[in-house]
Amino acid sequence: MNNLVYNEMLKIVRKKRLFVIAAIVAVLVALFTYAQFKQVKELQERLGTSDWRTQLQQQIIDAQNRLNSSSISEEWRKYLQIRLQQQQYYLEHDINPSAPGAPTFMRMFIENAIDLFLPLLVMVVAADLVSSEASGGTIKLLLTRPVKRGTILLSKYIALLLAISFILLTVALLSYLISGIVFGYHGWRLPLLTGFTINGEDLNTEGVHLLPQWKYVLIELGLAWYVAIVAGTLTFMLSVLMRSTAAVMGIMLAALISGAILSNMVSSWESAKYLFMVNLRLTDYISGTAPPIDGMTLGFSMTVLAVWGLLALAIAFIVFTKRDVY
Amino acid sequence: MTKQATLIVENLRKTIRRKEIIKGISFELKEGEVFGFLGPNGAGKTTTIRMLVGLIKPTSGRISICGYDLERQFTKAIRHIGCIVENPELYPYLSGWENLEHFARMVPDIPKARMNEVVELVGLQNRIHDRVSTYSLGMRQRLGIAQALLGKPKVLILDEPTNGLDPVGIREMREFIRFLAETEGLSVLVSSHLLSEIQLMCDRVAIMAKGTMLRVDTVEHLLKEQARVVWKAEPLEAAKAILAAETSIFRTDGDTLITPYEPKKLSVWNKKLVEAGVAVHEIQPKLPTLEDLFIELTGGETIE
Amino acid sequence: MRRGIVGIITIVSALAGILWLGGLAMAIQDQFFAAKAPPAGTAKYPKEEKTDNRGIYIVALGDSLTRGTGDESGKGYVGYMVDQLRQKTAKPIRVTNLAIKGQRSAGLLQQLGQAEIERQLKLADIIVMTIGGNDLFQGGEALKLAPKQIEQAKASYLRNLDRIFQTIRRINKDAVVFYIGLYNPFSDLGDAKQTSAIVRQWNFASAETAARYSNIIAVPTFDLFALHVNDYLYSDHFHPNKEGYKRIGERVASLITFTEGDEK
Repeated sequence: MNNLVYNEMLKIVRKKRLFVIAAIVAVLVALFTYAQFKQVKELQERLGTSDWRTQLQQQIIDAQNRLNSSSISEEWRKYLQIRLQQQQYYLEHDINPSAPGAPTFMRMFIENAIDLFLPLLVMVVAADLVSSEASGGTIKLLLTRPVKRGTILLSKYIALLLAISFILLTVALLSYLISGIVFGYHGWRLPLLTGFTINGEDLNTEGVHLLPQWKYVLIELGLAWYVAIVAGTLTFMLSVLMRSTAAVMGIMLAALISGAILSNMVSSWESAKYLFMVNLRLTDYISGTAPPIDGMTLGFSMTVLAVWGLLALAIAFIVFTKRDVY
Repeated sequence: MTKQATLIVENLRKTIRRKEIIKGISFELKEGEVFGFLGPNGAGKTTTIRMLVGLIKPTSGRISICGYDLERQFTKAIRHIGCIVENPELYPYLSGWENLEHFARMVPDIPKARMNEVVELVGLQNRIHDRVSTYSLGMRQRLGIAQALLGKPKVLILDEPTNGLDPVGIREMREFIRFLAETEGLSVLVSSHLLSEIQLMCDRVAIMAKGTMLRVDTVEHLLKEQARVVWKAEPLEAAKAILAAETSIFRTDGDTLITPYEPKKLSVWNKKLVEAGVAVHEIQPKLPTLEDLFIELTGGETIE
Repeated sequence: MRRGIVGIITIVSALAGILWLGGLAMAIQDQFFAAKAPPAGTAKYPKEEKTDNRGIYIVALGDSLTRGTGDESGKGYVGYMVDQLRQKTAKPIRVTNLAIKGQRSAGLLQQLGQAEIERQLKLADIIVMTIGGNDLFQGGEALKLAPKQIEQAKASYLRNLDRIFQTIRRINKDAVVFYIGLYNPFSDLGDAKQTSAIVRQWNFASAETAARYSNIIAVPTFDLFALHVNDYLYSDHFHPNKEGYKRIGERVASLITFTEGDEK
């Protein structure tokens, strides 16, 4: 098994996918760091102060003003209201949720990358894991070795899990190292609040507790890993089912993007919460952002994702071991 | 013959979407022989070969390799097979050596010495550390054979091994295959669309058409049956009448007649013709080819 | 050599995987099984003392007028006022605008209860505010209401206003508060006489309330919009336009003076 996993890792590494991914992440992180830096500067100029409390207060006031305009959509209103309550809570407890520093940037980057960017990166590796062997014809050589088909697929899946872990490590390290140049490398001990629950339009602060930022970031990375694995597993299944890597990527891309769009407009379509793509934003439950559909919780989303993932895995294995290869 | 059968195929059938593609074929490969596999497109050659190496599951029937059932004891059975199915497709972004290493890792206990051995055997020593994407088709073919031989198989299955090779390469390949069979004692199953190739290198030949096995026999046997004599005589009608009384006439081709080749009776027939006043211009025994046989058996279906 | 790289990546990946698994376990532990202890009262604001070299800090409170609704440049009277003040003093001027569109007196009173608002107010040197417009006009419909209802609205408004001033004074007893009065946006309509009378009385009562506190100055704007009101109103015929805000800003600015050393 070790040898088989090594083989798969060799192929992933030699296809240079991981380096391409690292380069993409580096460029994006640099871009976002600059954007964030600009935003902070602009805010400081506008408010004439670098005091975060004033800034946060101003954000609250801005949100309140927006809430009062009549043309605002119901979803957006709810989102603003909950965020507002949360910001108020932070303010009252004298905690700066966006204290500058590389760990804070890292946290925000993960929160923003979890539902689209990260699955996309995983997809780059997962999409051609099996389909490229089929389209390149090497599957014929692979399957005529004295190794069971299930074992071969399992070795590929383990390699995928390793690659996902590696990608997440790349994202974590690069976002920390690059943003630190601008924001500094401090802030691991910054206290943050979590445990917000959302009941309709209200923010329930009953379970709120403090976490040091390092723990908070680690928790979010753990959840991001979970999401990446589910996205990777689904891509993996498609990769087994289809010969064309492009088709695999196309379908996954469509699913992920439709998820991002659906999240903004499905509050009235309740059964949409069983779709995997609206459940990807697990970190929202940690930070206390309203879920797209009422009644969604961390446990619910994780279960939905697990069911999708396991199903995909089962299909992948059944099809791969039973299928005739032409 | 006391040579052992290494590959036994019994009543193999495959149905795809209710259409029977392979309609119950049986044959066996013996140790140290080169077995040719012929058939027009769509005859089921490739499907059969893929079933032999476990890529396609037969609907019914049995394949056993060195005594192991392919379906039930897959890893033990497949251990004794080396194969190239269609083109030798390897990982282009790895070097030849890395490709071999890759496949060596999938089989227990392949020492590095064996890898060097097969590289030398196929003559790739100079280019083995270059990326496969820079290889010519012939080199890929050789690398493909190298990986097939890596696990010291008893049965070697080669689908179109001379595809894309130049004439010298084809000859080398032919000699190499004979060498493997004669010296190393491998059973080699070769499919080819070049009938002359098969004729030159195979001991036995199987001819497939429309999912059934038409003939399995030694080349020698098959060819013997097919020997012909071409007669050029005048007047043709008279000659035809006389010969028809003696033997069967296959064809009348312009001003020639074609009859079976029976060396001992040839002079008798000739004498009868001469006595009847027919002028015999030419009696030519025609060397038989598999191609003739093939066309005859398959009813003139195209073979690529 | 190459084997080394793949090996290292594999091992690093495996270690990272273990780390992320740990993170996931932590997430599950924290989110599902953590003791639900609310954070300790951490609301200890660092004491920021007002120091004179800090510059001038202006806090703006109230409703859409203070926000600047109707001014396409977004400045509002607060912006124009600061423009004027900058010409008068060399000290840096800092402004925080806490106004919320559509806010009524009750809302403002509630807002003043927030810790952060309190902190801002404590630091303020100058407070400018508008309030009451929404209590009275209720979206432009109110002036058609019966006098009795207007009286009711006024009574509750005045109670709130009194408590607003009281709160501001409790938080910050030194800052000068400029309470900006209402104008009549309907003064060119048929019932101008009636509506103007209501606004005048409203302003008078507000000014009376302000007068009970030290350093709370009621700034009239009624006169600014008395003539050619439409030249100074935004297309909604309710909020001032750029010119209207400019006039209010200039008026407030003219009331603010600086001590000898501050002047240019």
